[in-house]
Amino acid sequence: MMLRVSNLKAAYGKIEALHGISFHVEKGEIVTLIGANGAGKSTTLKALMRLPPPESPSVTGGDIEFDGVSILGMEAHRIVSGLKMTLVPEGRHIFGNLTVVENLQLAAWTRKNENIGREIHHIFDMFPRLAERARQRSDTLSGGEQQMLAVGRALMTKCSVLLLDEPSMGLAPLIMYDMFRTLKRLNADGLTIIVVEQNALLALQVADRGYVLDTGEIVAEGPAEDLLRTPEIKAVYLGG
Amino acid sequence: MEIFLQQCVNALQWGSFYALIALGYTLVYGVLRLINFAHGDIFMVGAYLAFYISTAFLAPEGLFGFSRGLTLALTIPLTMIFTSLVGVTLERIAYRPLMRKGAHRLYVVITALMCGLVLENGNLALLGASRKTLPALLDKSVYDVGGIAVTNLKLWVIFAAVLVFFALHFVVTKTRMGMAMRAVSWNKFALPLMGIPLDSVIVFTFVLGSGIAGLGGMLFAMSYPVLEPYMGAMTGWKAFIAAVVGGIGDIRGAFVGGFLLAFVEVMVAAFLPSTFRDLFAFSILLLILWQRPTGIFGRPLISKI
Repeated sequence: MMLRVSNLKAAYGKIEALHGISFHVEKGEIVTLIGANGAGKSTTLKALMRLPPPESPSVTGGDIEFDGVSILGMEAHRIVSGLKMTLVPEGRHIFGNLTVVENLQLAAWTRKNENIGREIHHIFDMFPRLAERARQRSDTLSGGEQQMLAVGRALMTKCSVLLLDEPSMGLAPLIMYDMFRTLKRLNADGLTIIVVEQNALLALQVADRGYVLDTGEIVAEGPAEDLLRTPEIKAVYLGG
Repeated sequence: MEIFLQQCVNALQWGSFYALIALGYTLVYGVLRLINFAHGDIFMVGAYLAFYISTAFLAPEGLFGFSRGLTLALTIPLTMIFTSLVGVTLERIAYRPLMRKGAHRLYVVITALMCGLVLENGNLALLGASRKTLPALLDKSVYDVGGIAVTNLKLWVIFAAVLVFFALHFVVTKTRMGMAMRAVSWNKFALPLMGIPLDSVIVFTFVLGSGIAGLGGMLFAMSYPVLEPYMGAMTGWKAFIAAVVGGIGDIRGAFVGGFLLAFVEVMVAAFLPSTFRDLFAFSILLLILWQRPTGIFGRPLISKI
């Protein structure tokens, strides 16, 4: 088992946002966390990445294990460089004052002696739109292009586990489907994916398994196709 | 005309001091969005460190009895290293814990102000009110360029400021660490997600800023050899204002702002009663900010959601 979260409690200051959630992710899976606004989806991902407070929650109970070892004492940058797990955050958070290429180079920061140029070309093959804008300041990119850059940048860390927070947000439908097709392809090449989505239908269509979060608790879980067929979930999260 | 050119040389020298301090303000602001009000006093610390290091080395009183040239060559890097240690210490014990706890930026700025006062008054308490005089480390020579007197020291000061500017520009635009610094200035949240330790980038920024201020303090002490604990206060404030006028967060802005302020100051003092100096200088800067609130090179932050 690659990632095991057991009875995780997390809080922003004194306000508890996760009230003891448990889930696991196997190598090579696509797992989705779905739920309404404020259910604790983003909080879960930030806790997994061990991002520092106050923007991110502090873990107040439970455990997160990666390959059987607790990562609670690890810093975020070590999780990225050591465990090869990273996050594409909500709102993308690209470095707008850097060019597209610089954003990609920066993500390879910890691997100075490798052939970064070839890897960047690989990203450009995946997202040809980025190649056209390679030398442009990245804040001039459209929302969809920024999302491509955010995913491409995450892949430049050579991650084997990729967390994505609302990758469909603000994207035109066609670009959104493209993005999920790309994720599916990356998964077929061995990438483990945990994706948080408000667009539950889309997420469950690509995922192997899903968990439904509601106000800091997991209220349902199972294979994605089962969740898609569950009447209560259909009614609440899939628009009937 | 000769008076004007003579004053230009003086302005270039003063501008060099302002620029060397303003660069540190702008670097730390760029990376942390923090106005490090202790920075002027870091400049003072640099001057004092230069005094102690050089008197320790220099013959005949110094422990080592080195020649002036050797003393100068050793004092420059050592002053920069030790000053940057002081800057990093402030970050480590004062700013970082506060920011970790999620304190509002205002409290960190107030803390920086207090750190500056602690440095000033700590110096006063520790060393007393007696003024130190930096020994001469350079054989003074005066060149006559078309009727204008230029000392070798002035040329070195201006050369050092220009060199620091280009070196810093290179670091920020061409190196990995510089790229990380630029990235942090835009978005602090995502940096760890690239596997980059944010704290290392912050420490590196303080090392650069404080080291440059240390060099500035040393050059200042060589030009005006009397040291006192409050020497960094007013100069530091003015350098900060220069950084803001240039566009804080932009290293070109710090450089241009520093020289601009010095030009206004020196020219007002040269051709008007010297009591008008600061009034004119600051009024002109106010006008510039009124026209361009983000400074000469500054651009308003826009982020795309």
